[in-house]
Amino acid sequence: MNSTSFRLLIGSIFLAACGGNILAQNLNGFDIMKLVDDAQRATNDSSFNRMQLSSCKFGVTDGRITCAERPRVKSLESVAKNYGPELKDTKSITITIEPAAERGVGMLSFAYDETGRDNETWLYLSALGRVKRLASGDSDEDTEPASLFGSEFTTEDTETGKLEEYAINILEETTASGREVWKIEMIPNEERARKTRYSRVVHYIDKERYVGLRSEMYDQYGKEVKRLMASRVELVNDIWMARSLTMMNLVTNRLSNMAFVEIYTDLDIQDEFLTQRTLTDAAYRETELENLRAQLN
Amino acid sequence: MSRFCKRAGLILIFVAPIALSQQEEEPNLGGEDLLSDEIIFDDNLFGDVFDESPNNNEGSWLEGFTVRVTQQFYGQVNNHSVEPLPGFSLPREANMENNRMGLNIRYQNAFAPGWLLQASGQARTYWKEDYEYEANDGKIEAEYRVNEFFIQHSFDQHSIKFGRQTVVWGETVGNSVLDVINHFEFRDFTIIDIEDARLNQWMVVWDYFGEGSNWSSFVNLYPEFNPASVRGSPFFFEPEFNLTDYKREGDVLAEVGTQWRKSYDLSDISFMAAYLYENQLRYEDPGSRIGDSVAKKNDFLLLGFSANRAIGRLLLNFDLAFSHNVLADSFNFPGTTSLSSPLDLKKDQIGTSFGFEWAPDNDQSISLGIQAQKVLKEDEGLLPGQQLINEGVFGSWLVRYSNIFLNNDLTISSTLQGDLEGNNLFAQLSIDYTVNDNWQVSAQILSINSNRKSLLILFDEDVRIGTTISYTF
Repeated sequence: MNSTSFRLLIGSIFLAACGGNILAQNLNGFDIMKLVDDAQRATNDSSFNRMQLSSCKFGVTDGRITCAERPRVKSLESVAKNYGPELKDTKSITITIEPAAERGVGMLSFAYDETGRDNETWLYLSALGRVKRLASGDSDEDTEPASLFGSEFTTEDTETGKLEEYAINILEETTASGREVWKIEMIPNEERARKTRYSRVVHYIDKERYVGLRSEMYDQYGKEVKRLMASRVELVNDIWMARSLTMMNLVTNRLSNMAFVEIYTDLDIQDEFLTQRTLTDAAYRETELENLRAQLN
Repeated sequence: MSRFCKRAGLILIFVAPIALSQQEEEPNLGGEDLLSDEIIFDDNLFGDVFDESPNNNEGSWLEGFTVRVTQQFYGQVNNHSVEPLPGFSLPREANMENNRMGLNIRYQNAFAPGWLLQASGQARTYWKEDYEYEANDGKIEAEYRVNEFFIQHSFDQHSIKFGRQTVVWGETVGNSVLDVINHFEFRDFTIIDIEDARLNQWMVVWDYFGEGSNWSSFVNLYPEFNPASVRGSPFFFEPEFNLTDYKREGDVLAEVGTQWRKSYDLSDISFMAAYLYENQLRYEDPGSRIGDSVAKKNDFLLLGFSANRAIGRLLLNFDLAFSHNVLADSFNFPGTTSLSSPLDLKKDQIGTSFGFEWAPDNDQSISLGIQAQKVLKEDEGLLPGQQLINEGVFGSWLVRYSNIFLNNDLTISSTLQGDLEGNNLFAQLSIDYTVNDNWQVSAQILSINSNRKSLLILFDEDVRIGTTISYTF
């Protein structure tokens, strides 16, 4: 439940529309993934999202992947804003809407880009009525990937930064989901290899819209262990994005879908909203969220 | 144990339909097939969520409700005897203590800009073999209680809450010396966690959110006291005189307090001060030796400081409390009350609670909390031969460990707690399993050990097991 996940996750699925202005043939793998990284920060700034996380055991029925059970569903609202001279620090707040048993649980996170500086996280447990600081550590040093809200997505799956720690190559130009794509391979260097569970990740990037359509994650034995599928690619706020991401764990046969039901960026978010007050003061929080929604209309 | 076998059968009846529902329309789970590119990933697998109209926040007021229905079975399972005094033995037979259905309702509605209504309440029905059922002459009994009920208005830097609510001070988890604002009810051994025992009171709470720090102040308009043990509960012992609530007889009681809190990089600190009544009443014999005992209240002043410090995955907690004019011979113990010769001595007391929380990885956490208190100038005012109930340094310790499995669906946790003197020990193991978004099943086993220096000798070698099934919507 690492807080930086949303910042990274949201960013990871974007490629700036301006990418179309760059001649595709001049791009190498690193350039393409750098675009992802840059877009990540731009699209995350002053954003408001409502997302739904659905998880289930999956199988194949009539040649189609389906849920083998009723999916577990979490509905979340998240607000984030970037800070610092290069806008590389992020403050975010996430409130659980569903399931009912977790309704009102909130998390405030300050994620710092500076190496060695610990992130800060406070959790508000509505049943106890109190804010509690969590010892969350430094995301760069905490190598253990954390599950996002109990889903198959982990913090590692959502990171696109640290590109210098990978060897990035375009393997081929092919098709995926009926679209022309670059097939890009990322192999961690020695330092990164100590922090990752994957020996190799292969991305399929839409050549026209600069959106990742599929990713394959391989373990140290070269076996594909997870697969990410993107769909509902839409132009939102002048940015092409996949509003539905499905992560399939091929070892446990479980999948999680992250649906961005609403996502808005470039909002006027008051600094005070990203403080502990928003966790404890529900009247204030709801009023400010209404103000954010009013900006959308 | 046979009763528990029957209950286990009931549990299976509850759970079986859930498990069966999980297995409906089981598709092929062949791993090789899933790797094939011929398998079609359906873009609309979760497409329904997008069919809802966007930005639809004009929900019904009914959406503010959260309802939880529970059925709990809990009992003492170890046939044995205890010897509280040399040569005086008491049998402790296995028996069901809790067989009850609960309904918890919580409601939150931001009904206008800056305004919020929040309420929660509970109802309990006590079935056959529940101690409340037995105490009610074998009749099914129901009990209702309003927990939270407050209205909140937030404007500018301010927030004001009026109604029934709790105020929690202190950083140490589970046994902070500063967590004394609200009163408690440890009704039976299903509640050994202070978070579950805290009761709401009628208060006005005013929060001021400043630039770099916050103030939180309260006025308790109707201070209440720890209720006496419920007849029939494991904690209930027939007293010589009935233990009653405090008779106000027109007294206007009030408590006030304020806390200043500031967050630094990786640390939070608070200073607090309050005028309070001790949550535990002291009971005295009626002067006429007839009728109910006399419940006496005591007011005191509290000054406190708390802080935490995060160091990587380690969080250090510290609380300090100075209490002026607490009753030297009143004592707090879960569910029990003191009925002894009063000394009527008011003393100052200093206390601290401290500990740490450590998360070695994303799934495990370990916490330790130690509470230690000391009455200052404890011999002053005592008559020859008299001594305080709590002499020297007294307090408790608490260790918790939890581990999460199955993508947060399964939590195994254990709690150890005891007093600083080493006279008693609680050991609890809990398993909580989330079946789906609605159903949860939990099981606990609790063991108690005590020597004769502790009142818990009456529960020595007790072993309790229990389970709770919950449905939340």
